Amino acid sequence: MSRFLLTALALCAVSLTNVLGANPATAQKPQPKPTVQAGPVQKEGSVIRVNSTNQVYDFLRPWSKRPPYQLRAVGAVLPGGRVLTTAEQVANSTYLELEKPDSGEKSPATVEVVDFDCNLALIKASDPAFLAPYKPLEVAEPAVGDEVTILQLEANGAVLNTRALLTTAEVGAYPVGELSLMLYRLSSSLQPRDGGFTFPVVKKGALVGMLLRFDNRTQTADAIAAPVIRHFLKAATAKGGYVGFPRAGMGAAPLRDPQLRRYAGLTDGLGGVYVTEVTPGGPAEKAGIQQGDVVVNVAGHEIDRDGNYLDPHYGKIAKAHLYSCVHFSGDKIPVTLMRQGQKVQTELTLAYKDPSESVIEPYTIGKAPRYYILGGLVFQELSRQFLREWGSEWTRKAPEKFLYLDAYQRELFKDDPRQRVVILSNVLPTPCTVGYEDLNCLVVTKINGRVLKSLADIEEALAHPVEGFHHIEFQGHPGEIVIDPAQACGIEDGLVRSYGLPALKRL
Amino acid sequence: MRLAWIAICLLVTQIPSRAISISEVRKSLVHITTTSQDANYRVPWNPGSVNSGSGTGFIIDGNRILTNAHVVANARYISVERENDPKRYEARVEHVGHDCDLAVLTVSEASFFEGTVALRFTNQIPAIESSVSVYGYPIGGDRLSVTTGVVSRIAFQPYAHSAADSHLAIQTNAAINPGNSGGPVLQEGKVIGIAFQGFNGEVAQNVGYMIPVPVIGRFLKDIEDGHYDRYMDLSITTFDLLNPAQRKSLGLADDGRGVLVGSVIAGGVADGVLKPGDVILSIDGHTVQSDGFVELEGERVEMPEIVERKFKGDSANVHIVRAKETQDVTIHFNQAWPFQIQSNQYEVRPRYILFGGLLFQPVSRNFLEETKLDNLRVRYLYDFYTSDQVFKERPDIIVLSAVLPDPVNTYLGSFRGGIVDKINGVKIRTLDEMAAELAKPAQQYVIEMLGEGRPIVMERAAVEAARERILGHYNVRNEQNLTE
Repeated sequence: MSRFLLTALALCAVSLTNVLGANPATAQKPQPKPTVQAGPVQKEGSVIRVNSTNQVYDFLRPWSKRPPYQLRAVGAVLPGGRVLTTAEQVANSTYLELEKPDSGEKSPATVEVVDFDCNLALIKASDPAFLAPYKPLEVAEPAVGDEVTILQLEANGAVLNTRALLTTAEVGAYPVGELSLMLYRLSSSLQPRDGGFTFPVVKKGALVGMLLRFDNRTQTADAIAAPVIRHFLKAATAKGGYVGFPRAGMGAAPLRDPQLRRYAGLTDGLGGVYVTEVTPGGPAEKAGIQQGDVVVNVAGHEIDRDGNYLDPHYGKIAKAHLYSCVHFSGDKIPVTLMRQGQKVQTELTLAYKDPSESVIEPYTIGKAPRYYILGGLVFQELSRQFLREWGSEWTRKAPEKFLYLDAYQRELFKDDPRQRVVILSNVLPTPCTVGYEDLNCLVVTKINGRVLKSLADIEEALAHPVEGFHHIEFQGHPGEIVIDPAQACGIEDGLVRSYGLPALKRL
Repeated sequence: MRLAWIAICLLVTQIPSRAISISEVRKSLVHITTTSQDANYRVPWNPGSVNSGSGTGFIIDGNRILTNAHVVANARYISVERENDPKRYEARVEHVGHDCDLAVLTVSEASFFEGTVALRFTNQIPAIESSVSVYGYPIGGDRLSVTTGVVSRIAFQPYAHSAADSHLAIQTNAAINPGNSGGPVLQEGKVIGIAFQGFNGEVAQNVGYMIPVPVIGRFLKDIEDGHYDRYMDLSITTFDLLNPAQRKSLGLADDGRGVLVGSVIAGGVADGVLKPGDVILSIDGHTVQSDGFVELEGERVEMPEIVERKFKGDSANVHIVRAKETQDVTIHFNQAWPFQIQSNQYEVRPRYILFGGLLFQPVSRNFLEETKLDNLRVRYLYDFYTSDQVFKERPDIIVLSAVLPDPVNTYLGSFRGGIVDKINGVKIRTLDEMAAELAKPAQQYVIEMLGEGRPIVMERAAVEAARERILGHYNVRNEQNLTE
């Protein structure tokens, strides 16, 4: 019985895959009889190529960029002459263009909104007429168990439809940002055409997701979920300008252990999660939420012992979906807590947190890294992008002290969350740096006796040499080194010339 | 530079020497067979697996056998054989120095030493390119083996046995293979070193190392008082003073002298005597050059070589510049560096506490190598234990290393790998303190883990009800061991 049902479902889905396809004859799947064709074939379809030339800064040589590279992706045409693609696709983009799949005609384009938390970007064609022949896609929400279609483009411009089964909807990690948002897990025998995996996912002529990644071994793919796309698009048209996905500013852990439940003052057999962490200055702290509180209800939804609520459409979903996706930055949502057995009612004002507000920036994209070169000593702020320069195994190969500071950055500078970790990243050998050539990757604590709260403080500190010298202090060995200000000044031209530096600082 | 060091057991005899014949050397050589038992850090209440290995030793004055520490480490039974004597004798370790990989054995049956000859040591470092012969019982057969080569290099090298010490070592191209360890390396009939380690053949060829006479001599002198006190250590880091501006700012002349004290480890012998920012101009009258070298007996050697020769109770006169003024300070070597978690430890029993099925163990090299526990915080606290002075706050880094599943700990698996910070609000610095806190009567034990926002809560009644069940199911002999 169940096998029969599945087969029927599959047939139905196959018949729908050509809704957006250009030419049924070129579709590579064995087609069922075209008698169940479910709609008119669009002349130009709803997908378009997005070609981006990207160039990233070299964080080990922060004054220069690495060689540019091209990324090709398939974008979804949306109403209003916009194209949706992934943020990764346009990260550090230096040149962006749209390309018509069949004619190969191209038009320059610009990024209108990009958000690395949800990994989405909205692109606008420079020529509004360029997208006119295309049928824009509306966003719809699929259900778990649905057959959906991943759209790719063949070299000849034909649309390549690949069926996929939406097996799971859950909140999980996204590739760039640190926020956990809803993902669709898909099962599909995809044959990727363009190197990357940025392809629209559709169902019945509506956009239901954007592919994020695909694992050829397990034949599974993750896609950005429709609620995330909806949130992004709605925020993109907000009056006050785009504000990113909000967060609650707290961490919580499951509360299954009966001993821990009794310790937390819970006597009932109900749900709730244990607040393990409250971000200083964040929404939860402002709402009076404390570590050790038990969150039992968020925005009218009961929270179970694992931190899930019952979503009317998706079933059990992590409560982070409520904070970050269902609601918007600035929304006020009621939260019920249990504190030492007493019920506490509070209101959380959700807020977006920019990556630059982190002690160590989780990603630095499309932004030049700051640096300052003194006589050949290269100073920077510690960022995860810097650590990523150690390659795909950076979590093992980057300097261990820096990895530790990054992983446990919330334990740093609790009094002043705006403080940054200033580092001596490298030394360019010059007459000033004789004997210092081997120093690298050190945490700088003070210059001329002044604490550096960020790299922005360096010029002020250097304006006050002590006893005629600049004194640079480090955490631990070698303690302190010294630069002669007059000598550092005197070699600047030579330094710029011999190392081909565009500038000695970028603050 | 992290090459795979392999400790090797060797034996040595030498033919071409004019001063001694092979038949003479045979009278000194000892084949050592050791049955050892290595501690089990995964199941710390178990006695550990029994292994057997063999190496070489040789007889020195005083009816003693000299060999490598790694030949007899964790020994439960040692038997020794001489050339031309079929009998096996039981030997025991009289002194062992794991930081210099040397051990002295004795044999209680006096007849063992009848007809033997004690080998004598040279009193100098051999010249580069001079010939040497290595004697021992390496793999490839049961009888004595001799290999020859030249002295290739003389330099500070890491000693693989402790994995945390570096001393002078002599490199030779004479074949040194497993079994050669502890055997003498002779030149002109005198011992110039003890073969002790080499490289895996996949890494390098014809690279073998011997412990030179200065290191052997220091060990033999250290144990003269009946106790081995280990090497002394300044417990500071130094930075070469090659930068003209830095020299000027420190008030130093451009004379190529002096190194900067970069950091001083709390609790070390220099703590309170030297300060970061001091400049060391000389030690015991030996000028310290600005690249960290000193002249010693006509040789340019690294500054630590002076400290290598110190014994417990010695002192060193250090001439320094502090705040542009010269002064003399005295460092008293009153103890070896006390915290050894970063060294391989031998003859120790793993310390642990088993509480409600939760296994707590202090982090050490032995522990990490066996359990392969890998999390960033543990790695950091271990690797930076000395340099970031982690030991001040946590002499023991206590990890929840395993959970023996039981109803009392059903939901606690995710805490594995965490580090104990507080129990019932009391800061825990050592395993002893933890045991004391858990021995106090309390309704519940709230164990706070470092960086974890949620505590482990163990109710006393539940833990007690689970005790016999857990001990029985998992065949646990003791709930805790607090002494190594």
